[in-house]
Amino acid sequence: MSVETRQSFGIVRMPAGFGGLLPALILIALFFVIPVLALLLRSVTEPAPGLQNYATLLYDGTYARVFFNTFLVAAVVTAVTVLVAFPVAWMLAIMPSALASIVFGVIILSMWTNLLTRTYAWMVLLQRTGVINRTLIALGIVDQPLPLINNLTGVTIGMVYIMLPFMILPLVGTLRAIDPMTLRAAALCGASPFQAFRRILLPLSLPGIAAGGLMVFVMSLGYFVTPALLGGTSNMMLAEMIAQMIQSLLNWGLGSAAAFILLVVTIALYALQLRLVGPRRMSGGN
Amino acid sequence: MLLDYDRMGWLKIALLGFTALVAAFLLLPVVFIVLLSFGSSRWLAFPPPGWTLKWYQELFADPSWLEAALTSARIATMSAILAVVIGLLASFALVRGQFRGREILRGLLLTPMVLPVVVFAIAIYAFFLRMGLGGTTIGFVIAHTVLALPFAIIPIATALEGFDKSIEDAAIVCGASPLEAKLRITLPSIRIGIFSAAIFAFLASWDEVVVAIFMASPTLQTLPVKIWGSLRSDLSPVIAAASSLLVGLTLALMVVTALLRRKFQR
Repeated sequence: MSVETRQSFGIVRMPAGFGGLLPALILIALFFVIPVLALLLRSVTEPAPGLQNYATLLYDGTYARVFFNTFLVAAVVTAVTVLVAFPVAWMLAIMPSALASIVFGVIILSMWTNLLTRTYAWMVLLQRTGVINRTLIALGIVDQPLPLINNLTGVTIGMVYIMLPFMILPLVGTLRAIDPMTLRAAALCGASPFQAFRRILLPLSLPGIAAGGLMVFVMSLGYFVTPALLGGTSNMMLAEMIAQMIQSLLNWGLGSAAAFILLVVTIALYALQLRLVGPRRMSGGN
Repeated sequence: MLLDYDRMGWLKIALLGFTALVAAFLLLPVVFIVLLSFGSSRWLAFPPPGWTLKWYQELFADPSWLEAALTSARIATMSAILAVVIGLLASFALVRGQFRGREILRGLLLTPMVLPVVVFAIAIYAFFLRMGLGGTTIGFVIAHTVLALPFAIIPIATALEGFDKSIEDAAIVCGASPLEAKLRITLPSIRIGIFSAAIFAFLASWDEVVVAIFMASPTLQTLPVKIWGSLRSDLSPVIAAASSLLVGLTLALMVVTALLRRKFQR
């Protein structure tokens, strides 16, 4: 464990300070890496050896629809989250700290509240006879209740709600790191506020937006709970389909193949994100 | 002048208004669920026709809710303790170790946090079915420890990176053994990281739905599984009562965290 002593396990000499990692590595290898690899194996061996599960998933229209829908929802959620999060993060970065701590408190409360609790609240709020529809009707904005649940609208509202903290919090860090002098200089040189925003503030915060947006996109792709409860049967997402294939249909071959596709896409996007931010900031920043 | 709070003019007003709206959006479901749990309408009409405590009475009259909460608390406590101990050992190695591939190993240990939970859920479900651990407390604790480990490593490693190791070395020069120096100097100095790790690891297990849905058996249900089951059958106000208690717990955790942070940082 300590740097000062070199440890030896039998004849295998371990590098200094490595021993402390052993329990964690054993846990992850035995109960994470091996089960996931075993699942991958099932996707090419059940019901018969070969790639037919992947062929089914890629060429059958029903499954293609689920893939398309998953990417669509993730893209919409990411776009909305970025647009809503940016102004909030901007204000949080420069606001007096007393005011900012109130907003941070609200964000943390929302983030730490049980996921099912939040989703349940949205299920009730968005119902046909729910508060939102009644308010809209009472205000005369609509005369028929809007279909806000069991469709893309419901999933988007619920998912944006969950993802906002994950976008706002890192963006505040990015915006705080920008030197206000650069913007003062722009103003002195005659830039209009709009020009200063477009040519200085936005480009300087782009790394943060890209990293946060990718994280939200990746998380949305594999999200299970909220789409399953707020979405409809006609726009099922990938994670729910995988769960159904295993739990209700007991089709392990197809379910594992779908899981593996999700895994590969996630890892590819995660690798891209590491490129953008670097592993240090990923692990230390949260 | 876009980053000068005092010199933004109308833009500041507009952005502050937007921020207030988003804060209200984030607060809305939490406040709504608490109000709803005291409403007298079984069909969740809002504003409610009257106020009542009967959903709480129903909640406490049904022993399966309490049992699920106790199961969750038991599993989350064990997972958090394991994750913090394993994470502490791993953090020392990750921060101070001198070996190649440290960053890759760090990435590997943090992977359970970024991969879709549903993939891990079906993988560990299949694995435990074969090993006879499906639907057991041990199985639950192992699976949740894997998921909680990144949440323990991140705050501890961050705290350890901010701790000046020469203080620990000074203790050793003054005659403390390396272990003694770690226990009496280093651990107390990074206690805020350890404390955050414990809270995050606990919450990672306590709130975990997906793995729990697969692992649960009729005799072993965590609170999220119980809520999930109720949500799929009907939107009973009893769920609102249970949810409000969970909101209360979150608030209590936030207050404790804030107080301890203040105390530690003095």
